[in-house]
Amino acid sequence: MATLDLAVTASLVAPWAEWERRGLAGRRLLEAGTYALTEGAIAAGCRVVAGYPITPATDIAEYMSKRLPQVGGYYVQCEDELAGMHACAGASLGGLKAMTATSGPGFTLLHDAYGWSVTNEIPLVVVDAMRVGPISGITGAPGQGEFYVARYCTHGGNFETIVLSPSSVQEAFWLTIDAFNLAERFRTPVTILTDQVVSDMWEDLFIPDDFDALDFVVPRKHNLMMPFYPVGSADLDVAPNVIGHGTGVCVSAYTHTEEGYDIEEMEAQWAQTYRLINKIRHNRDACTRYETLGLDDAEVVAVAYGANARTVKTGVVEARRRGVRAGFVRPITLWPFLDELYAADRHYVVCELNYDGQLVREVARAAPDSKKVHFMGKSAELHTVAEVVAGLDGVARSGKLPELPYIWTEVR
Amino acid sequence: MNKLAQKYLRPSQIPTKACHGCGIGMIENWLLQAIDELGLQQEDVIFGTGIGCVGRQTFATWGGDNFGATHGRALAVATGLKLAQPDKKYLIVVGDGDAASIGTSHLIHAARRNLGVTVICEDNMGYESTGGQFSPTTPAGYVTNSSPYGMAEPPFDPCDVVKAAGATFVAETTATQWHQTVKIVKKALANDGFSFVHVRFPCNENFGAYALGTRDTLKNLEWIYEHTQGRKADGTETDFTWETGIKHDASNSRPEFSKIMRDVNLRVRAEMAAKAAGAAAKP
Amino acid sequence: MPLFKTEKKPSRGPAGKWDVVIGEDMCKACGFCLAVCPVDVFAWRTAPNKLGWFPMYTAKENNCIGCMLCYQICPDFCIDVAVKPTLAAVGGSP
Repeated sequence: MATLDLAVTASLVAPWAEWERRGLAGRRLLEAGTYALTEGAIAAGCRVVAGYPITPATDIAEYMSKRLPQVGGYYVQCEDELAGMHACAGASLGGLKAMTATSGPGFTLLHDAYGWSVTNEIPLVVVDAMRVGPISGITGAPGQGEFYVARYCTHGGNFETIVLSPSSVQEAFWLTIDAFNLAERFRTPVTILTDQVVSDMWEDLFIPDDFDALDFVVPRKHNLMMPFYPVGSADLDVAPNVIGHGTGVCVSAYTHTEEGYDIEEMEAQWAQTYRLINKIRHNRDACTRYETLGLDDAEVVAVAYGANARTVKTGVVEARRRGVRAGFVRPITLWPFLDELYAADRHYVVCELNYDGQLVREVARAAPDSKKVHFMGKSAELHTVAEVVAGLDGVARSGKLPELPYIWTEVR
Repeated sequence: MNKLAQKYLRPSQIPTKACHGCGIGMIENWLLQAIDELGLQQEDVIFGTGIGCVGRQTFATWGGDNFGATHGRALAVATGLKLAQPDKKYLIVVGDGDAASIGTSHLIHAARRNLGVTVICEDNMGYESTGGQFSPTTPAGYVTNSSPYGMAEPPFDPCDVVKAAGATFVAETTATQWHQTVKIVKKALANDGFSFVHVRFPCNENFGAYALGTRDTLKNLEWIYEHTQGRKADGTETDFTWETGIKHDASNSRPEFSKIMRDVNLRVRAEMAAKAAGAAAKP
Repeated sequence: MPLFKTEKKPSRGPAGKWDVVIGEDMCKACGFCLAVCPVDVFAWRTAPNKLGWFPMYTAKENNCIGCMLCYQICPDFCIDVAVKPTLAAVGGSP
């Protein structure tokens, strides 16, 4: 992309900002996002992948079927996605780090398994390579339609989720390690929302040679004593429970006690919910990741995540070159939602790969003046740099988005 | 509590939530006998259950590690868990709804893979937890909570399904066959592969009320007894008879799922080592 | 052979050698043990237990012949039937 010769501040808040600076020995490859996701998971210690092939996540299944036996792990091709995530939950309960990878149509089948994993605090990583929907939609086009579905990944309420989204192949590698780390620390399934572009595109990828030497990987620990579920506590870094060590742990589909068996008291529901929500909300700093550009003096800020954040960022730089005081916010942690990134009173142009408007609703809620939050929705193709520049320029001049073909601007 | 319950069960969960006269507790007592007679300790056995009467009234009664999965998915969870903890004995105690209705897909594939677990499918011939609707094992023509004009669909026998899918041990008993059930469960547990034990039992509260017209516990257990023997107390034939006994025993005749997976790993690692040795040997 | 015996037989054989213990607080009054027992051992209490059922109790333990049918049929883990420890074993005189 064009060199940024303007004095604007760029910042990346993410643990891999530091990991990349360590100068680890490794090799440079030209590889796809699915390859990076696979290697990232292996580096993080993932030893079970159970799922069902679906475009564009199929390559993860294929790579994993080859890689896992090489590292003593297991690839299980299940009868459907639901079985896949349940099998991952079982493997994780038995002490092995596990991951499943799917796309939108398979993701919708995971609600049951998500619920079970969330309520029982089972560490897992779920990759959803989003595509245009609903349902099969356009098989080979990127989408961002599961922004809310990933947060509300199961029914019943009373829980928080952690959802991350990479926007490059290199970032997919580091972020997958980070996702496994967060899964261990928070004892929860962590969702990686990627899309067809990040999954399938080929980019420069650095992979460290020695995975065992990565000291920033959080290892699996076993919780061998009561309480198995510290209900009423928001503590981070509680070791995950394990089945098979004779601890007498109960893992339940119901609202449960500290021991894990079912209970029907309102007080128990409160205590369990206190833990499920607050272990994440009270420890938000531990899972906050984002990227910004030029926020010091921006009058209009473009907001995007995932694949289209690449073209949107280039659009921001180009707008700057043309004199627009444009800024850029890329949330990497989508949930818990980073309200603080939209606290300043200015215009926000939210660029999303959907027409119904999802991220824009959250930005409008978080921003001080929702009338200054604008929506540029697009489906099946990334936003072009020209569209982004036109949008930022229009809002900077007149406070309104210009009419652009195939750009959806209404939210209500 | 009887001695085996004291040895193996979780005191806080006894008495169970089961209705009076329900067969679930009886069958669990026989499971404990089988476990005890095989010399297994609490930490050697993992219980997995599901949703519904059998799932809920069994869940957490076992004093050792146990899980209550979502409806129908106990075998999916067990597929992953067995990979991580292959040396334990697994008793997957599920009902006819959990195993043969919502969970049939996983049942079939667990049998196909020869997953090393023992499924105890306790069958009260209906969805009794939700009030007594019919299930795929309700006898044809029977009146239930959701078949007021008589069950119109034909039922099936899950034993046939798992046998066709490749189960290596398949057996059927009823709630009036205690000794047979204990013996059969011991054989099932001795199979390093997929074992399926189908046990028909009475539900006097719902099935009894709708299908038999009585909630009397003795009459409901008697109905089970009659359909096990094929004969009523007055000597006349019953409308149908369950075929009980071991239906298929190919125990230990083919590799168990987690063993297959471990063998793949061993082979791949051996090939990698050979390649590395070969590369090292070159000048 | 009928499952339930409405007419109880007189005891003989190994009668009188068995301890029959019912956990009355756990009994849900299904009635199976009384019905399946071939001899006259069980009877209903006239006061309810903590669960709200009128439980079964061992009224005539000496009649028990140790067939174990009650143990096998109880759905609530209430019943234990075991050989009485012999007086010789506990160091007493027969």
